[in-house]
Amino acid sequence: MCGIVGYVGRRDAAPLIVEGLKKLEYRGYDSFGIATTGNSIALVKHQGRISENSGAAARLTGKTGIGHTRWATHGIPNDVNAHPHTDCTGTIALVHNGIIENYAELKRQLLSRGHTFRSETDTEVIVHLIEEEYPGRKDLLAAVQAVVPRLEGSYAILVISSSEDRIIAARNASPLVIGIGDGEIFAASDMTPIIEYTERAMFLEDGDIASLNRTGVEVFNREERVARPVELIDWSVEDVKKGGFAHYMLKEIYEQPQAFYNTIRAVNSDTIPWSSHRPPSITIVACGTSYHAGLIFKYLLEDSCGIPARLEFASEFKYYPPPVEGLVIGISQSGETADTLSALKQAKSHNCRTLAITNVLGSTVSRIADSTMFMRAGPEISVAATKSFVAQLAVLIQLINSLCDRKFDDILLHAHQAIEEVLLLDLTEAVAACKHARSIFYVGRGPFYAVSLEGALKMKEISYIHAEGYAAGELKHGPFALLSPETPVIALCVPGETYGVMISNIKEIKARGAPVIAIGCDGDAELPDIADIFIAIPRTPVFVQILTSLVVLQLLAYHTAVALGRDIDKPRNLAKSVTVE
Amino acid sequence: MQAVILAAGEGKRVRPLTRGRPKAMIPVANHPIIEYVIDALVKNGIREIIVVVGYRKEQVTRFLNQLDVSVDVIVQDKQLGTANALLCAESKIHGDFLLLPGDNYIDPHSIARIRDIPDSMLVKEHPNPSNFGVVMLHEGRVTQIIEKPEHAPSFMVSTGIYCLKKEVFSYIQGNDLTDAISSMIENGIHLQGIPADDWQDAIFSWDLLKMNRRLLCHIPAAREGTASRQTIIQGTVSIGKGTTIGPNTVITGPVVIGNDCTIGPNSCIMPNTSIGSRVTLEPFISIGNSVVMDDTTIGSHSRIIDTVIGERCALADHTSTSTGVGLMEIEGRVTRSEFGAVLGDTVVSGPFTTFKNSIIGNSVTIEGRSCIVSRSIQDNSMVI
Repeated sequence: MCGIVGYVGRRDAAPLIVEGLKKLEYRGYDSFGIATTGNSIALVKHQGRISENSGAAARLTGKTGIGHTRWATHGIPNDVNAHPHTDCTGTIALVHNGIIENYAELKRQLLSRGHTFRSETDTEVIVHLIEEEYPGRKDLLAAVQAVVPRLEGSYAILVISSSEDRIIAARNASPLVIGIGDGEIFAASDMTPIIEYTERAMFLEDGDIASLNRTGVEVFNREERVARPVELIDWSVEDVKKGGFAHYMLKEIYEQPQAFYNTIRAVNSDTIPWSSHRPPSITIVACGTSYHAGLIFKYLLEDSCGIPARLEFASEFKYYPPPVEGLVIGISQSGETADTLSALKQAKSHNCRTLAITNVLGSTVSRIADSTMFMRAGPEISVAATKSFVAQLAVLIQLINSLCDRKFDDILLHAHQAIEEVLLLDLTEAVAACKHARSIFYVGRGPFYAVSLEGALKMKEISYIHAEGYAAGELKHGPFALLSPETPVIALCVPGETYGVMISNIKEIKARGAPVIAIGCDGDAELPDIADIFIAIPRTPVFVQILTSLVVLQLLAYHTAVALGRDIDKPRNLAKSVTVE
Repeated sequence: MQAVILAAGEGKRVRPLTRGRPKAMIPVANHPIIEYVIDALVKNGIREIIVVVGYRKEQVTRFLNQLDVSVDVIVQDKQLGTANALLCAESKIHGDFLLLPGDNYIDPHSIARIRDIPDSMLVKEHPNPSNFGVVMLHEGRVTQIIEKPEHAPSFMVSTGIYCLKKEVFSYIQGNDLTDAISSMIENGIHLQGIPADDWQDAIFSWDLLKMNRRLLCHIPAAREGTASRQTIIQGTVSIGKGTTIGPNTVITGPVVIGNDCTIGPNSCIMPNTSIGSRVTLEPFISIGNSVVMDDTTIGSHSRIIDTVIGERCALADHTSTSTGVGLMEIEGRVTRSEFGAVLGDTVVSGPFTTFKNSIIGNSVTIEGRSCIVSRSIQDNSMVI
């Protein structure tokens, strides 16, 4: 997904486009670019977020311009691959959202005709094709009309040229909206950048090509002039981005089955860097939620593959580096977490092989580490990490799978179904028990200890209730003193080796008067009787139980925070990615 | 022009398929019914689409989010009725608008017929009118709508698709939309009844098979997966990305197969079959006139016919379904039915199980060698 914006009118285009792109950041934010036209094409494009680095872009002059914010899936994000792309002569600039499926063939033909390609993107072929058509016609619209039939795939494109004061837009199977103002015309991937300036919108149909200049819009389909109705839109900007969900966090929680599945599919033997030999030991460095993913990985790796694993807080690792050898894995959703970056540098200086796991293609961490594996969670907006955590786990579990001769393939390909299943659970009772609590304790054993840490973190982050995760056996060694009827305990108790001892732990907790919310497997005969509230997750292999119990805890934290009226997506004092130490 | 799609109701009569989704989200020919409604609107150039969601709203919203058209989502907190659902959208409506149920298929041409005639509705003849609002027409004008009568005086039924003026809100009193429309008619407003071309409603779960048959006529052929060279494919067949089809499999269209499925070898897929994504059909299976939803596995040597299978089911080898006629009690009403089986989500059945004219609830576990004939089994049961 990428976002595009275009403007033609009476104002300076660049500042408007910058603001518009910022609003489209939810569609992608790994690189951006703007081109404007006066007498020549002026172009600025950069890797990174537009909201952090828009200075030079906003200073471009010209009253006609186009902009793009990118979320790379093929071709790493860097300055060169960022849109807009220009032709060989630098007189035509183009932004594109979508995929050109026959680009390889077109590119071969163009190269043989002497065109120079600067980027690795599929987009650049379009601008070179237009370049070939333009001189004969001296009309940008006619040139685009000649090129579009040769493109296969999905696209929404905006094109400008140095000699014309208009934008040509074309669309096929990718979203594009035209906003009609007074003496100015906007174009964008959706209404969010436009709604501030005008409520009148025109939606292009597949195959439409439109010429936008400041007096109006002409739409053509197969070279014939067509009329598209102008409609009044009264959506609020926030609604559009959240797509009907009350909060980004909820939206992202519900995207988890897809994020998990996409990541499992994307991470395979080809993308795993050490298919040839297994490392003698693995050290994981991470912060926050990623640390918890690392902890789950450690338990599963040691259990399934017998490779010793060590887990370190990235922030500690830098200053107190333990003696390391083998492979060092750094986990960071944004790929920009300062602590994780410096820990990986530290590991490299000890001659360790390094592997980064991140959600952002081309982020800093991928340039530092020897190899990088990407999760496929898509942009995550909510500060509290949900789908990126599940996607991290997908990458890590897939790593374990590859070290164990892929014996878990079957389980992993169907794990998302179980997540789908727990999204249907009704947690009203548990939320009622949690929302008035002063403290909440989470207990579990083995990988479920890590799950309880993560569950407690989510609760702290968004509901501001004091929450702690403990290894169930550790509760007796101190925290027992804190138990009272006002401190609910959430116990993760699934069938397995620790089931019996967890049951007796729960009984001990009950004896101290604390209400117990137990998460166990469907069909459990004992738990519903002992616990005050019993939440059943599907009976599945342990890998999947980890995921499902986690999703239950995320939902519990979310609904508790909603019941308390907290600011879910922007909890106080927290930032999405921590780029300082 | 604006359009309001009502997708808040569960659709109780289509249980057990509505546990994880409202009726509007049930996939038919591999697309949720509501997607056809949105498509038909977009084909008419209607882009300002409001969807009222309620039951399992997150699942609907998530789906709407990934569509190409942006739709406005309104939440109806309690599912009180169609008129109440429409009231939820009142503040967003600023003129004439189309009102459509999200769980009925409608073709774009029919929408074109009413979109420019405010105060009109689409009507259609139906062989079993007593499940619908029966419409009495006089010279193209609707004179009366009788909701679900015991003995229907006419075969013309309401499709629930209207083109209305904003004034309709002043007639809403109860929670039922038909009452509001009736009160409009009583107050002398001319409501035109315009016949629809192709409109499909699945009242009961087995009606989905007919809807599936109808909608499969429109699918385009596609071959994105990999089919063995010894596969025989006839008719219109759409095979999704990542799907592999083993040798000696015969597929006779119209058939649609989703992404990442594993099929065959030596299987036979007969016409009017929709297979979702990530479905595994083991060798030596014969399947026809059926709907199989995502993530289901069907064991080898099975024969599946006239059957709807929900998501995440695991049917062991030698499962067979056969068509039977019987009376089904659905929501307190006894209805004649003819189908093989309707299975909810996550049904697990053992080898050599046979089904005939039966509805199996969600998460039911069935022991091997069971023979289930003319039964309706509750959710979470165990058949021993």
